Amino acid sequence: MNNLLDILASGIHDAKNQLFLAESLIAATEAKHGLSLSEARYAIEAASDRLSRALAAYQITRHDATPAITPVILEDLCDEVMLAQKLHLASREVTLTVDCQVFDALPLDRDLVTDMLNNAVQNAGRYARSMVKMSVTAEDQWLCLVVEDDGPGYPSLPPEYGIGLMVADRLAALHVQHGRKGSLTLSNKSALGGARFELRLP
Amino acid sequence: MGDYSKKRFLVVDDQPMAREALRSIALTVGAFAVEFASSYQDALYRIRNNVPDIILSDYMLGDGRSGQQLLEELRRFNMLPDETIFMMVTGEQAYEQVVSAVELVPDDYIIKPFSPDKLVLRLDRITAKKNFFAGFYREKRKQDFAAAIAFLQAQHDTEAGRPYRFEILRQQAETQLAIGDLKAAEATYRNILDKYEFPWARAGMARTMHRQSRLVEARQEIERVVASTPHFFDAADLKATICMAQGEHAEAQRVLDEVAKRTPRNYLRKRLLAEAATLNGDTETARAAMTDVITNDTMPGAIAPEDRLALARSHINSGDNISAEKILLSLRDGEVRSLNLPEQASYAALMALASPERGTSRFSGLRPAMLASKLTPTAQMDIVRAALSVKDHKLADLHTDYLMSSLDAKKVFSNIRAQYALHGREQDFRTIQKEVALRRIQQEAAAQSASTMIDF
Repeated sequence: MNNLLDILASGIHDAKNQLFLAESLIAATEAKHGLSLSEARYAIEAASDRLSRALAAYQITRHDATPAITPVILEDLCDEVMLAQKLHLASREVTLTVDCQVFDALPLDRDLVTDMLNNAVQNAGRYARSMVKMSVTAEDQWLCLVVEDDGPGYPSLPPEYGIGLMVADRLAALHVQHGRKGSLTLSNKSALGGARFELRLP
Repeated sequence: MGDYSKKRFLVVDDQPMAREALRSIALTVGAFAVEFASSYQDALYRIRNNVPDIILSDYMLGDGRSGQQLLEELRRFNMLPDETIFMMVTGEQAYEQVVSAVELVPDDYIIKPFSPDKLVLRLDRITAKKNFFAGFYREKRKQDFAAAIAFLQAQHDTEAGRPYRFEILRQQAETQLAIGDLKAAEATYRNILDKYEFPWARAGMARTMHRQSRLVEARQEIERVVASTPHFFDAADLKATICMAQGEHAEAQRVLDEVAKRTPRNYLRKRLLAEAATLNGDTETARAAMTDVITNDTMPGAIAPEDRLALARSHINSGDNISAEKILLSLRDGEVRSLNLPEQASYAALMALASPERGTSRFSGLRPAMLASKLTPTAQMDIVRAALSVKDHKLADLHTDYLMSSLDAKKVFSNIRAQYALHGREQDFRTIQKEVALRRIQQEAAAQSASTMIDF
């Protein structure tokens, strides 16, 4: 333990282990009694995501963060966001749809991109009237990840950045290939009439 | 959703509560049986006895061990069939950095906390991938590598292969490297690197260059990897190996010292450190490293006769002939007889050095065989040393000539010169060097004129 980053990382690691115990106990209880406690599990995973995001935010403000790039299958990534968010959104009567048009594996930081999309879908779900749409397309060597909703849109542009958006913005810029850099654009140009989150990665 | 009701799971975690949590998740997804391993050793023992279908291993296993090390050891002893799923479980984001860099990766990793549904999603995905590669695994197991590579090449451009193209190329490069088709492996790694600068692919390219004795290029490539991914320890090992081939033993030892401190229980790395330290003249480090290997590398079959020979060598280098003799005598007669010729030569040479009265006759007995064969660089160095000490100039000079004409010349140069100096024969060493150089010039001139003739 020689620096603050190690201390924070270790504390967060321990906390996530505890959260894992809690989630597995809930899952066992669900299986035993035929219950669904998905909102409780959702809260646990959301808490864990916040911890990870706070650590990521600390890392990129204080250190040179390097993304961990592996070949990622976008459909799989979409399935994971769907799995993480669908039941929670359904409990608020919001439908999540996914349209993935990219079939090749692409070099990405899987966990960071998943976290950014989870965060975007979570935010969209908070303001959506009935619908959140996530789409993945490829345009001239760019990967476009878009999350849009049918809510009232951002009250002002650019919106105020919370930790999640700050991390997304910085991490988009960390994806660099052939001299091109990722970017994050927030607007009210959603085809559904609300806010639009667009992450473009090279 | 896949059916896991016939699957045997093994959960590896040193923390009882976490183990219980993983077990309950495995049961929730319908596992047929869930076994536990509470430590690294326990896991190896259980997997050796009965390979499970799915291994869920925590990354941190306590006692200086990690799930990554478990994976490496399973591959080292060929204990993990391609069909078995190895999933790393981790609360550490840091493990992502490891997975994105290293050559040896698990089928997948999953970050805690996670739900049973998420585990199923991941397992389904791995199963789909393993099904896709089933034909490749089958040919590989039959050791029909040409067919295995042909399978991959045929799948590369198919629609079903689209999500797996990087993996196809990676498997192809590794297979080409394994069968020694170095030019093809290099081309495959280049193809991957054109798409993205993956550290494991850059390291693979350095490996192919090293094995083609293109040391300067190999060094350049591996330096890039080491600088950008300091947690990629195998890259440091490769850098050290290349440094040794270039005769830069101090740098090799410095690199290995550093990574060995961070992975105190990696005994392959300790062996490499011992080799570098021996070449670098740091006899105490070599001796300590080999003692550690022989005491603690506890996998059955892990300690090979060459390890004991290495320890004996390091004792001799430290001037401790009694310990060297003891180690050599710990090899039983039957074991000595079943050694291959280079090891027998090393054994005889080391024995002659440690205990002239016991060893010299065995060494002379092997003389005809040693005069007639080229052997390995390690054995040759031992022979040169022992031959110099019994004043068998012909034998010493012959193997020195072989060594100095070989691709290992840079690696062994300073040690051989020191041995000749020790026996007051520097001048003779220089003569051998000159002869070798002259021969090389003549050969190059001959090759040149041959190619000129073809040009006309």
